[in-house]
Amino acid sequence: MFDRVALGIVGTAIVTFLLGWTTLFDRTSPDTAVAGLSLFALFGVAFLLAGAGLIAAGIASNVGLFKTTADQYTGLGTGVAFGVVGFATGGLVTTILFGVGATGSALAGLVVALIVTLGIAVLPEDIGTTLPVGLLALVWGVLLAAGFVDVGWVWDPPSLAATFHAPIVVPLVTIALSLLVAWSGAIVAEGFGSQGRQNGAYLMIGLNAFGMIAVLLLLILFVVRKGLPTLLEGAQFGPGLSISVPFLTKGVMLGQQYNGIFPAIVGTVWLVVGAVVLAIPMGIGAAVFLTEYAEQGRFTAVIETATNALWSTPSIVYGLFGYAFLVPRFGNRNSLLAGMMVLGFMLLPLVVITSREAIKSVPDEYRDASAALGVNQWQTIRSVVLPAAMPGVVTGVILGVGRIAGETAPILLVTSGAPFPARAPSILGSFRFTATPPFVQNEALLQASSALPYQLYAVITAGVGQEEAFGWGTALVLLLVVLGFYAIGIASRIYFRRKLHQ
Amino acid sequence: MSDQTVTRTNDEQQSNSLTDQQPTSHTVDAETDEQLVDSWTDYEFEGEAAITVEDLDVYYGDDHAIDSISMEIPEQSVTALIGPSGCGKSTYLRCLNRMNDRIDSARVDGTVEIDGENIYEGDTDLVELRKKVGMVFQSPNPFPKSIRENVSYGPRKHGDVNVGLLGKLLGGDDSEAERRLVERSLKQAALWDEVSDRLEDNALGLSGGQQQRLCIARCLAVDPDVILMDEPASALDPVATAKIEDLIEQLAEEYTVVVVTHNMQQAARISDQTAVFLTGGQLVEYDDTDKIFENPESDRVEDYVTGKFG
Repeated sequence: MFDRVALGIVGTAIVTFLLGWTTLFDRTSPDTAVAGLSLFALFGVAFLLAGAGLIAAGIASNVGLFKTTADQYTGLGTGVAFGVVGFATGGLVTTILFGVGATGSALAGLVVALIVTLGIAVLPEDIGTTLPVGLLALVWGVLLAAGFVDVGWVWDPPSLAATFHAPIVVPLVTIALSLLVAWSGAIVAEGFGSQGRQNGAYLMIGLNAFGMIAVLLLLILFVVRKGLPTLLEGAQFGPGLSISVPFLTKGVMLGQQYNGIFPAIVGTVWLVVGAVVLAIPMGIGAAVFLTEYAEQGRFTAVIETATNALWSTPSIVYGLFGYAFLVPRFGNRNSLLAGMMVLGFMLLPLVVITSREAIKSVPDEYRDASAALGVNQWQTIRSVVLPAAMPGVVTGVILGVGRIAGETAPILLVTSGAPFPARAPSILGSFRFTATPPFVQNEALLQASSALPYQLYAVITAGVGQEEAFGWGTALVLLLVVLGFYAIGIASRIYFRRKLHQ
Repeated sequence: MSDQTVTRTNDEQQSNSLTDQQPTSHTVDAETDEQLVDSWTDYEFEGEAAITVEDLDVYYGDDHAIDSISMEIPEQSVTALIGPSGCGKSTYLRCLNRMNDRIDSARVDGTVEIDGENIYEGDTDLVELRKKVGMVFQSPNPFPKSIRENVSYGPRKHGDVNVGLLGKLLGGDDSEAERRLVERSLKQAALWDEVSDRLEDNALGLSGGQQQRLCIARCLAVDPDVILMDEPASALDPVATAKIEDLIEQLAEEYTVVVVTHNMQQAARISDQTAVFLTGGQLVEYDDTDKIFENPESDRVEDYVTGKFG
C-alpha cells in the first residue's frame, strides 16, 4: 500500500514533468481537453492527488502505521533547499496579493525562507521531506483545478515592466514542482533514511539530465523542421542513383530557378581545414616542448595561464587582430587565407591545452621503459608518448572545430566578401607554380569567400536578397557540417584508441 | 658541510631507531655494527667482476640516499639487493644504468665501472650504456603496441633492424631478421610458447606475469650484458612469480642479473650473492646468499633476515 502510493506519486510527477516540457514548447496545447478537463485543470488534479498522497504517507510513517527508516531530523541541507523555494513563493505571493514592490517582496521572501529553513531542518525526516512538498503541491493543485489560474490568466506586476502569461508560467511552475514531488515521492518509496535520500537524489538528477537532453533535441528538431523544406527545395531523387539537391550544389544567381549555398559550404569547410592544418602541428609541438622538454616552473606556469586566457578571448578580438594585422599583409583585402589563420590562432590554445593534458596523462613508465632501452627522448616522444596521447589530442581538436566552424565575427572582419556568391572558391584548382619566389601561388586563397555562419548573419541582419527560409536552410546545413566534422573527429579518435588497444 | 657530517647524522638516527626497536639486548651489538660496517662488504668471489662500484654517494637534494657504497658484482650470476623500504636499494640499482639522471634533484658521486669504464665520466654514451645494461621495472610496463613491436622496439629505434618502407628504400628490409630476433628474445624470456600465435595482438591484453616476461624479452632484444631488475615480481601473483624466478635463474647463465627484492625468501631462492641494505642508504653486509641467510656477521642483518624487524 505504502509503496504503491509512493510509486503512484513518482509516476504522476514524471507525467506532469514531461507534459510541462511539451506544453512549454507548444507540443501540447493548454486547451487540450482530456476527460472533460483542460490540461491545466488536469495538472491541478494531479498535484492535488500527489500532494495529498505525500502528506498522508509522511504522517502515516511518523505515527508508526508503516515501518520506515526515517531519521530523527530532516537536516539543514533539505531545510536550505526549501528555504530557497520559500523565498520565491513568499516573495511571489506577497507581490501578487498585496502588490508590494521589489524590496517588500524580497523582505517577505527572506522572512519566509528563514522560517521555512529552520522549521524544516528540525522536523522529523518523514514529515520534513513530505509535508512542505505536499502543501506546495496542494496549493498549486487548488489554484489550477479550481480555475484560479487558467489559460487566460495574466500576472502584470506594477513594479516590473514585464507581464507573465499563463502558457509560460504554468508549465514552468509545474516542471519545478514536479521535480520536487518526484524527489519526495522517491524518498517515500525507499522508506526515508539514507536509501531514500539516495533514491530521491537519483531521480531528481535523472529528470534534470533528461530535461537538458530534451531541450537539446527540441533545438535540433526545431532547426530541422524549419530548414528541411528549404534544403529539399527542388531536390530530385532518382531515377536510380542520380540525386540532385540544388540548395547544396548551387550558388545564388539571377535567373536561376533554385538558389543554393554551395559557395558558403565550401568556404566553411576550407576555413576549418586550414585552421586545423595550421593549429595541430603548432599546438602539438608547443605542448610537447612545454611538457617534455621545458623545465616545469614559473615559465611554464605563465604559458599555461596565457594559453587558458587566450582560449577564452572573445572571437571578435581575434577578428580585429586579423583585420588590423593580417589583412594589410595579404593584399589589403579580405581573404580566405586570413580567415584560416585567424581561426587557426583561435584553435591553437585549445590544442595546446588538451595536448598538454593528454601528454601529461601518458604514464611515466612508458618513458622510463624507453629510456632504459637506450632510446633517446625525441624517439620516445615520437613513437611512444605521442601515439598514446593522440586520442586526447583529437578530443581537443573536435571541441575546437565545433567552436570555430560556427564563428561569425572573425569571418565578418577578415574573410567576407559578397554574402551570397555565385561560385565557390576553387582552392585546389588555383595552385600555380612559378620559377621565381614565392614559387607557389594560389589566387583563390587570397580572395574573399562566404561562409555558412556569415551567410546566416547576412540573412538575419540585412534581409536583403534572401528571405527567412533561406536562413533556416543555412542554419540546418551549418549544423550538419559541424556534426560532420564531429563525426570525422570521433572516427579518428576511435582509430587512434584502437591502435593503442588492439 | 662535508659528507662526513651527513653520515654521522644518519648513523645517529640509525642507532636511535635500533635502540627503539631492540631495547633489551642489541644496543651494544648495534654500536659494534657501526664500527665494522665496511669489513663485511669485502666479498671475495671467483671469476670476473661485471660491475665495480666505488665510494658511491647519491643525494636527492639534501637527502643522502646512498652512503658511500663500494661493491663488486660478479658476472653471470644473480645478485640480490635486499633491505627494508627506503633503504636506497632501488636508488642504487638505478645508478648502475644512470636512470637517476632522469631525476632532476639527484646527484651522484663516486665511480661505477662497467667493462673497465667509469660510466659517470663525462663522455659516456647513455645509449650504449643502456643497451649494455638493461632494466626491468617493478610493475610491468609494456608499450601500448603489439607484442612484436614491443620486443623489436629497441633494435628498431637503434637502427639495428630496418623494417617498413624506409627500410626497403635504404637497402634491405630486415623483416626476417626482426622475426628471428623477436622469436629468440621471446624464447629466452620463456614467453614464446604462449604468444607465438598472436604476435600482432596488443601487449596490454596479456596477463601481468606475461607482460613482465614481455618486458624482459624487450630488454633482452637489445642484447645487454647486465640486466637490472627492480622488484620484478612484486606486482605478480605466486604462479607468475615462480615463472619469473625460474627465468631469472636461467638468464644468469648468460647475463649478469642484479635483482632488488623485498621478498627475502625470493632472494634466498634465486640469488648467488646477496647485499643487505639497511636504513640510511648503507650497505651493511654483502656475501654468498647462503652465508647471509644462515650465518651473517652482522646482528642487524640477522635480525632482518630472520624477520625480527624490517
